[in-house]
Amino acid sequence: MVKVFIYPATSLILSDMVARFGHTPLSSATAIRERIQTAGLESPPLQITPEEPKKGLKWAAVEVPAGVRGRMSLYGPMIEACEAAIIINDADLAFGCMGCARTNELIKFLVHQKDIPRLELNYPKNDDEGVKFVAAIKRFLTELGEAK
Amino acid sequence: MTQPVRIAQLSCGPEYSGIQHEIDEAAREVGGEIFYPDVALKDIRRDFTKFGLDVKSPDLKLAIARAIALVEGRVEADAVFIATCFRCAEAAIVRNELRRYINEHSRLPVVSYSFTERTTSGTLLTRMEALTTIARRRALLARETQKGLTLGLDSGSATTKAVVMRDNRIIGTGWQPTTEVIKSANEVIAHALSEAGVTRDEIQAVGTTGYGRFLIGKEINADLIQEELTVNSKGAVYLANRQHGPATVIDIGGMDNKAISVMDGIPGVFTMGGICAGASGRFLEMTAKRLGVEITELGPLSMKGFGGRVPMNSYCIVFGTQSLVNALAAGSTREDVAAAACHSVAEQVYEQQLQEVDIKEPVIMVGGTSLIEGLVFAMGELLQTKIVVPPYSQYIGAVGSALLASGFIKDD
Amino acid sequence: MTAYTPTHVGSVTKYVMVESFDITPADLALRGYEISKGVMIKETCFGLVISGKEEEVDRIVTELRKIDPDHIFVKDRGFPPGDARRCRANLGGARPGYNGLEFEMSIIPYVSHGLEALKNIDEKTVPPMENPLERPLLDIYKLKKLIDAQES
Repeated sequence: MVKVFIYPATSLILSDMVARFGHTPLSSATAIRERIQTAGLESPPLQITPEEPKKGLKWAAVEVPAGVRGRMSLYGPMIEACEAAIIINDADLAFGCMGCARTNELIKFLVHQKDIPRLELNYPKNDDEGVKFVAAIKRFLTELGEAK
Repeated sequence: MTQPVRIAQLSCGPEYSGIQHEIDEAAREVGGEIFYPDVALKDIRRDFTKFGLDVKSPDLKLAIARAIALVEGRVEADAVFIATCFRCAEAAIVRNELRRYINEHSRLPVVSYSFTERTTSGTLLTRMEALTTIARRRALLARETQKGLTLGLDSGSATTKAVVMRDNRIIGTGWQPTTEVIKSANEVIAHALSEAGVTRDEIQAVGTTGYGRFLIGKEINADLIQEELTVNSKGAVYLANRQHGPATVIDIGGMDNKAISVMDGIPGVFTMGGICAGASGRFLEMTAKRLGVEITELGPLSMKGFGGRVPMNSYCIVFGTQSLVNALAAGSTREDVAAAACHSVAEQVYEQQLQEVDIKEPVIMVGGTSLIEGLVFAMGELLQTKIVVPPYSQYIGAVGSALLASGFIKDD
Repeated sequence: MTAYTPTHVGSVTKYVMVESFDITPADLALRGYEISKGVMIKETCFGLVISGKEEEVDRIVTELRKIDPDHIFVKDRGFPPGDARRCRANLGGARPGYNGLEFEMSIIPYVSHGLEALKNIDEKTVPPMENPLERPLLDIYKLKKLIDAQES
């Protein structure tokens, strides 16, 4: 099983595909779950405290907005831990955890910096593209499994 | 229990900056309730395109769609709170445009704020209180004349002020620097009462505002305890005799500055800033001290000078003062230095705060700093308008409180 | 600030979504309840939310997928079911993630079609999707064509 970072990290489709073809998706939900299930200071709704933007300083400087640094405290460790990545490039309507374009640019950049297998796609727009989309992902994930 | 005031939040980032609960708490403390206008994906797509501001962040697209849902009445709210990350240019553009859009197309009071991870509910409290007041107390804020015998007290960070009013006239005032909050309040009240020639027992209603409003309000059993944004707006248009139509109120205070866009005496959009002391009355106090003049003399002195002759490289209170000291050492006149200090404060308020409200004439300056004519002049130059400084402008909060408190006089 | 004591520690929660003409979320729930053995299952308009120990949740998810593998999709959720911090009833509106899910649900039929098609063909024979990062800005021949079209 390979740890695959998915972008958008909130994606149902990618999360499902990665698990369906036998690997572990690294997604927003798993990062949020970790926050929600860890004791600390009360900070609803996401249990992200003002400490998280400070932890985010590892990936973005202090003049970068707090929201970017707070998000990076979720994604930074996942990007470091991932062994492969699937990126959907036209994910313009992923809100919440993927709601900040500047964070998203930084996430993609950091993933590109890593020397790991990576698949870049767009969302399918019709049935034909749906076949190509699933085939590309299946091929990518199967090869990951074989390489392992 | 009364229904909470429903405050719609349009935002990007607070949950991820760890401050969403501070926003929720500030709202709750003043009887408000934060909620997120519900929109469907098709609304987001349609309204984002319709609005025409092509931003990239999905959460900003969502904020735009939510704003349109509020303005078009598809989602009901009493007030709007717009919050985005400090230092995000994309979000700042959206924040400004949404604030303007909501203000122009609805009667919803709006406050916008750019936060950092250090933002606390305390910093948001006055803004939230103003939002809930405007939503809940429109009837009270509609009052245009003072009646009976009332007392207003403004417990500010730098000075404490009191006025006694009778039948729409100011008959007693008191003013002194704030030292011990309650002691200062008692002393200015005693002074105002004695000048008015009345006793505390005769006063029919009392109102308090300013930083110390809760403490003093409890101490002197006030009928009205109200934040300074709505009170000062009311006081400003009352004293300037501009109770109808639009107006802009600027109050450069000891600790923070307020810029309020007013319609018929009720704030529509407002900002409160207080990040840098270099943009406050405090800086002018320090300048006066360094020049060896009383703060009251700084205004006339600066009117004789020309600020452009003094290089000011920083807005910071420490480095700004250093620039003035250097200028004096290099031979600049005291008049020019005084003018440069006034210009620096006016320019900083103009650049950092007045961009967040729509400037509509008349522009009314209030608070103690409005008596420094060099500052008023500098602001007028920047805004290209003649600034109105009403009589008793330094007592603005106290007058507003006394005026609004008369709504609490029980008819016998 | 007050201390935070988490609940549901060690549990996982997953969404099981269904996009099908043949089965409904209610059918899925019925099957879920049969095999739940005490694991919490909650119905939503898209499908189910299942919460419990990881092995248990995975077991149920594997079983449910079998009903209609090409039309059932699964993803993790950070919060346990009905958590007040994410609940629509408490927030006045949907959490932002909901709109994102709404968007992907509109794409899901193409993915289902892809999964169905690949049962009969080898994925290695399917031509690759265009890599969005490698797409040339404008092909020179296409540009020539455009210019010619303008002139005629």
